[in-house]
Amino acid sequence: MASAPKRRPRIRPIINLVAAILVTGMVLFVAFLPAGPLPALGPAFNPTSGAWTMAADAQVGDQTLRLQGLQQPVSVLFESNGTAHITAQTDHDLFLATGYVHARFRLFQMDLMRRQGEGRLSEIVGKAALDTDRFELQLGLLRTAQTEWSQLSTSDASRDALIAYAQGVNDRIGEAESAHQLDAMFTLLGYRPQPWSPIDSLLVKGDMTQTLNFTDTPLVMALLNKSLGTDLTSEWFPVQPPNLQAPYDPGPYAKASTAPIETVTQLTDAEAQSAEALYQRLAALPPGLISQGGASNNWAVAGAKSVSGGALLAGDPHLHLTLPAIWFQLTMDSPGYHAAGVSIPGTPVVLIGHNEHIAWSLTDAQNQQTFFYNEKEDNAHPGMYFWNGAWQKYRTVGYDIPVHGGQAAHVDVRLSVHGPVITERGQATSVWWAGNLPSQDLGVLLRIGQAANYQQFRDALRDWHSPTHNFVYADDKGNIGLISAGYYPLVAHGQPWLPMPGTGENDVTGTIPYDQIPQVYNPPDNIIWSANQRQVKASYPYYIGTASNFFDPGYRADEIHRVLSRPGKLSASDMMALQTDTRDFLASEMVPVLLQTLAGTQLSAKESAAVAQLRGWDYRMDADSVAATIWNAFWSAYLDETFSPWWKSRAVPVGREEEGNSNKLDDALGQDLETWTLHDPANRAFSAPGVGSRTAPDAQKAAFQKAVAQLAQKLGGAPSSWSWGRVHARQLENLAHITGLNYGPRQDRGDANTPLAAGGFPSTHGPSWRMVVDWGARSFQGVYPGGQSENPASPWYTNRVDTWWSGLLDPMLSADAAASAAGVKKWSLRP
Amino acid sequence: MEPAALRIAVLVLTGVIVALLGVLLGAWWTPFFVGAAFGLIIRRPAVAIPLGTVSGLLAWLFPLAGAQLRYGLGPTSVSLAEIMGFDHQGTLPVVLTLLVGTLLGLTGAWLACAVGMIVRPQPR
Repeated sequence: MASAPKRRPRIRPIINLVAAILVTGMVLFVAFLPAGPLPALGPAFNPTSGAWTMAADAQVGDQTLRLQGLQQPVSVLFESNGTAHITAQTDHDLFLATGYVHARFRLFQMDLMRRQGEGRLSEIVGKAALDTDRFELQLGLLRTAQTEWSQLSTSDASRDALIAYAQGVNDRIGEAESAHQLDAMFTLLGYRPQPWSPIDSLLVKGDMTQTLNFTDTPLVMALLNKSLGTDLTSEWFPVQPPNLQAPYDPGPYAKASTAPIETVTQLTDAEAQSAEALYQRLAALPPGLISQGGASNNWAVAGAKSVSGGALLAGDPHLHLTLPAIWFQLTMDSPGYHAAGVSIPGTPVVLIGHNEHIAWSLTDAQNQQTFFYNEKEDNAHPGMYFWNGAWQKYRTVGYDIPVHGGQAAHVDVRLSVHGPVITERGQATSVWWAGNLPSQDLGVLLRIGQAANYQQFRDALRDWHSPTHNFVYADDKGNIGLISAGYYPLVAHGQPWLPMPGTGENDVTGTIPYDQIPQVYNPPDNIIWSANQRQVKASYPYYIGTASNFFDPGYRADEIHRVLSRPGKLSASDMMALQTDTRDFLASEMVPVLLQTLAGTQLSAKESAAVAQLRGWDYRMDADSVAATIWNAFWSAYLDETFSPWWKSRAVPVGREEEGNSNKLDDALGQDLETWTLHDPANRAFSAPGVGSRTAPDAQKAAFQKAVAQLAQKLGGAPSSWSWGRVHARQLENLAHITGLNYGPRQDRGDANTPLAAGGFPSTHGPSWRMVVDWGARSFQGVYPGGQSENPASPWYTNRVDTWWSGLLDPMLSADAAASAAGVKKWSLRP
Repeated sequence: MEPAALRIAVLVLTGVIVALLGVLLGAWWTPFFVGAAFGLIIRRPAVAIPLGTVSGLLAWLFPLAGAQLRYGLGPTSVSLAEIMGFDHQGTLPVVLTLLVGTLLGLTGAWLACAVGMIVRPQPR
């Protein structure tokens, strides 16, 4: 009997199916869903709507575009370097088109900035940003922006500008979404931008205020007070600067109407604990949220001292150098507004620039605008604080923070009369910050753009609150002026450079009257300058901040003043040269003293060779200068030699360096060291615990030997090979922290004390925009490092870097001149 | 041409065109379904799976090639490589992109074939 046919086993198809399901599942998972740091690969990399659209986005050609909300046609010209010239027939259309153009080139940057201000970074990057978001919501940029918006009257021109600007941004968002042209970063991060609102523009302005102005200095002072002691703290970190500076407003001054500031007293343990907890919290935040001291230059020369006969103006605000840059260059023309210069994407106005009659630039004024208050609480009054003789209830505001890849977080912010409570550890501490005062700065900038003379310029600035800026001015009639506009808080009494009791006696009671804030107009020597130095002399009758930690040490201002005050007339070329001046004023004071100290001292061969390099040095921190390297190493070692033993013996909890870079504490101590070296070489600071009795020359000799030994170890070879460029470089950092999209590090000149500011290793801050105006020749020039586009595939991503690096400027053309320039592209925007 | 070969050629052409149109319209996942259609229509996995694979590859390759011809993709691919942490290796994003398209077509066809082998009656 034949056997029944065997049935084929069905196991192989089943295995095949299981394998197919598994592999398909994996492929579809990574295609549709983000996995760890990887975005969902399908939407991110598909060639039509994924990140490859960067290639099309990088192209700018002649175009006709239809925008919702336009009233009349608008013309937008782009020079070959990307500078935009927007010409509109109504003011509304001008601001709308500006919003569209900003968003076309910088939408991701704008979105990041508003997210930072409103505490919603976690929504796109996950819980890594949660502390930042919590802090921002506590600090209150969002609340301030909302209040500013609600206070704008319907007839206010800046309200109309903000609305039109938001419409322009939203026109671009809609267009980009429908044409699959959103910036690649949106695609890669897997989110879409929300519609832009006027409050978002106010948030961007708030971000800048915070970066320039919100400081932890009183906390640092409190920790120094507790560890170093009251006597050394008040001696080393005094209210008035120990060194000679170059105030631009020498007085005479009006008499003050407030009581004098009291002397330093010892902090309690609870106050110190609270200060340390808060200091540590703020120190853990990402860079940029806490002001680290400004560094900007501006100056003007009256027509009487200029070669052309017209006033000269130069300005270079120093900021974090990013790609894309903080600036977008444009010309804005409409019947009611004409200004050319740089704007901040997200805001509808020119911040630094010129119009037909006046030019202006700004530096940070550095006066104290942040005050900390220790609130008095007790267990019998939960949720309350004691103020003005009675228990007050905290106001509480709650926020939900969406978190990418996790559960939403919630934060409750308690508000006292002083401001938000930002720490509960030790003692509840609230912060009074001028950046939380509603300030209609955009309206001020609109009026500056429309001003035709100093009176109108000065009147416009009357409403500027924060951050306080030194606004330099030059006009087509040869006039110059400088006014440090902003809010100067007056404290009834107490020690405002330390956290103060929140019980009412030490509250901010007002501001210095506008007529009495630092300012000059057409000074007799025909020059004015600011570089974050204290603007006034010691006889100025108001407290505006301590010398040590709010104002710059003043060496850039000293050097600028030295150059400008030389006999003879000055030209625009001289202004450009001064912007890239690498002469270190502090070195010019200290190196002769060091050489005198070392004369007759027995030195090693390497030390003798190093001394030979310093002799005859012109004090310029050029990349090929060997003396620059030796000077820098010496100064750092001299600071260490003098202060490190104190820091160690007193267990000071505040570091003098951050990641190898000098911080503002060392800047402050440097002023002391400079002063003692020149005038008090036997100061007790040189005889620190454990090092015995010493003088300044003793410390200099030891520091010099250590500096040479360190350089020999680090760089090797003969001292003649120790060029500054081998240790000092500059880097432009990608805004999204993608290191591959940075520019540099590249060897560069300058240091923290030179007008060409380049502090740090590598230097990541510096002249973010350089502008020189010569009203006699009616020439306007400017450049910033980077380019107009945030798209790294665009030729306008880094196209301006080389010009900026070499110290050159590009002409700031009018729209008419730009129309006939080579390589110009034109957009016709239609309703 | 043999009718069977002609049928396959028409199928391939149609599949590639559908996949390409889908991708061009923003439906980047279309190659998966085109691959699946191949798997369901063509019973032989040895034919269906390569066809799905090729259609996925071509559907993502043609738009990319078009962008290269119109704009040049060099700076974009280098930028994407930098963003992804591959330094200046600009070819990697191109390879990754084409791999995704290819895998979509391949897995669509494979899955459909595998299902077909289970649900269809087996030849005796």
